[in-house]
Amino acid sequence: MSSPQHLILHAPSCPSKTNICYFFYKNITFGFTLFWFEANASFSGQPAYNDWYMSCYNVFFTSLPVIALGVFDQDVSARLCLKHPLLYQEGVQNILFSWIRILGWMFNGVLSSIIIFFLTTNLIIGQAFRKDGQVADYAVLGVTMYTCVVWTVNCQMALSINYFTWIQHLFIWGSIALWYIFLVVYGYIPPTLSTTAYKVFVEACAPSIVYWLTTLLVVIATLLPLFSYRAFQIRFRPMEHDKIQRQRSEGSEHDKIQGRRAEGSEHNKIRGRRSEGSEHDVTESTGTRNSTDLPSEIRIRIDNLKAGPRSKNA
Amino acid sequence: MEMDTNGATTSSAAGGGSTSTSDSSSAAKKNSKKPKYSRFTQQELPACKPILTPGLVVEIVDRYDEGCVPSNYSNDKLAYIQSSRTNKSCTRTLSVPKLMKGPVFIYYQLDNFYQNHRRYVKSRSDKQLRSKAYESETKNCDPEGISPDGPIVPCGLIAWSLFNDTYGFSVKSKMLEVNKKNIAWDSDKENKFGSDVYPKNFQIGGLIGGATLNSSIPLSEQEDLIVWMRTAALPTFRKLYGRIEEDLQANEQITVVIQNNYNTYSFGGKKKLVLSTTSWIGGKNDFLGVAYITVGGLCLFLAVSFILLYVIKPRPLGDPSYLSWNRSPAGNPT
Repeated sequence: MSSPQHLILHAPSCPSKTNICYFFYKNITFGFTLFWFEANASFSGQPAYNDWYMSCYNVFFTSLPVIALGVFDQDVSARLCLKHPLLYQEGVQNILFSWIRILGWMFNGVLSSIIIFFLTTNLIIGQAFRKDGQVADYAVLGVTMYTCVVWTVNCQMALSINYFTWIQHLFIWGSIALWYIFLVVYGYIPPTLSTTAYKVFVEACAPSIVYWLTTLLVVIATLLPLFSYRAFQIRFRPMEHDKIQRQRSEGSEHDKIQGRRAEGSEHNKIRGRRSEGSEHDVTESTGTRNSTDLPSEIRIRIDNLKAGPRSKNA
Repeated sequence: MEMDTNGATTSSAAGGGSTSTSDSSSAAKKNSKKPKYSRFTQQELPACKPILTPGLVVEIVDRYDEGCVPSNYSNDKLAYIQSSRTNKSCTRTLSVPKLMKGPVFIYYQLDNFYQNHRRYVKSRSDKQLRSKAYESETKNCDPEGISPDGPIVPCGLIAWSLFNDTYGFSVKSKMLEVNKKNIAWDSDKENKFGSDVYPKNFQIGGLIGGATLNSSIPLSEQEDLIVWMRTAALPTFRKLYGRIEEDLQANEQITVVIQNNYNTYSFGGKKKLVLSTTSWIGGKNDFLGVAYITVGGLCLFLAVSFILLYVIKPRPLGDPSYLSWNRSPAGNPT
């Protein structure tokens, strides 16, 4: 019982495909901020950030949530996977890994980087960014932009994850916290090694209110596109697993009230559901899977499949 | 005996209890209808009355590189600026639009000056700046690394191009004192620039790029140099020049005497003088307010749109009939 179940569970949502899209996204966001900075540095090759910030990007500040996504994410629970076997079609038909999806994530990355760069430079550069009249220099801009990138990329991950355990929380918020800790620690290393990062957070950035306000604004502004797209998509053009998630969250109340159903009536219920077109008491038998309704469900659904055209790339 | 009518000493409220005091005071009390004094009853509690006033930041920006070239040199600014014989003094008048409460910060702003160019940023020696022992560590500083007389301290193009315009301020022929202390970051002064390092062989070559340095002052006290060497992020930048600690009254005319020494003419750069106050949030930052309002407005718009969509096109959620395999054959995913 356990190994077939394990095999079955791995197929439908295949979060590794979301993983790859997300990996493109976070590196595009990061890389394009570098590019926009280059455009302002006469393309001389001066990086916007200190070398060690960049080295640690993929290793420390953004890698753990991705791993957690790959290992732990479940968009639909085990029980429901077995109950709605046609979810697997999502994986088989490469719906989650279509070109449109990849390009969508890449576009999101470019958009995020534009928002980050534009907002950060206009908010921090120019006038004094602190009460004591100091102006922001290269080091401060680097720290501010990088902070915004780390926050944005991790929060986008939080929006994309379907299934939050304490591990996901730890990894996402922990990665962000790790960035601040890294800044403080690196800032205390003598300036011959830390060059532009020497005490930049503790002395220059942290006491500045504009620095924190900038981070807040940029994160909200960069999350808006994905957030509204996801809200719209789940609400109006939901994918199969979205519908089932919704169904699960709405139907779970009925579970507790109605309890177990008699096995024999399942078959009729399915027929009835089909003909009436709406069903308000979603039944999820707590625990055991009814082995008699699977074959009939599949039979009905395969008939449907044969009858209707399906598009390969959604 | 004193008739100190402190409410705490008598047990009853206003109205005069005649119980615990002596006969003479109780007789006096019977005739008086005066209530017991307390700060509470007399509304004399200490209070504060906050009056909200908008925190204004006042900023004066004056571009002077065009106006400070004498008319006979207006076609050949480069010759003017490069010649050591021309008079570089220039007088400008600034008008104070509103009351500027001290300290008023003085900045110089340069446009089209790429302090963030990779070759420029690289051209310094942190070890040399830190300590006298590393005086000859000039490998990144070429061509401003070694002079015929020995290593240049501080070496590199950043130091070589040190900004050298100076400003003198006066109001009604009274000089305003400019405080040039503590304009650099403390961490720079204490940990990046050594107190045992003195300028040496600086600007002695044929090409002079900027200011000269007093060789008897150690680098940790040369604040203009420290401020300049903290390279800017973008090609348009401001750097702190000093502070005026006094208030500037509205409508005052400030006379600025500028020594227009710095050559921005050869690369089409601009020079501006900026005077600005600060508030708790920093300098004049309209963009912050506008950006917050815009993003907030956008969020509000999205919220309203979703509400309208939900109201206008409702759809029973959690309905398994919408699953594609439960719908009519024409149903497609997404």
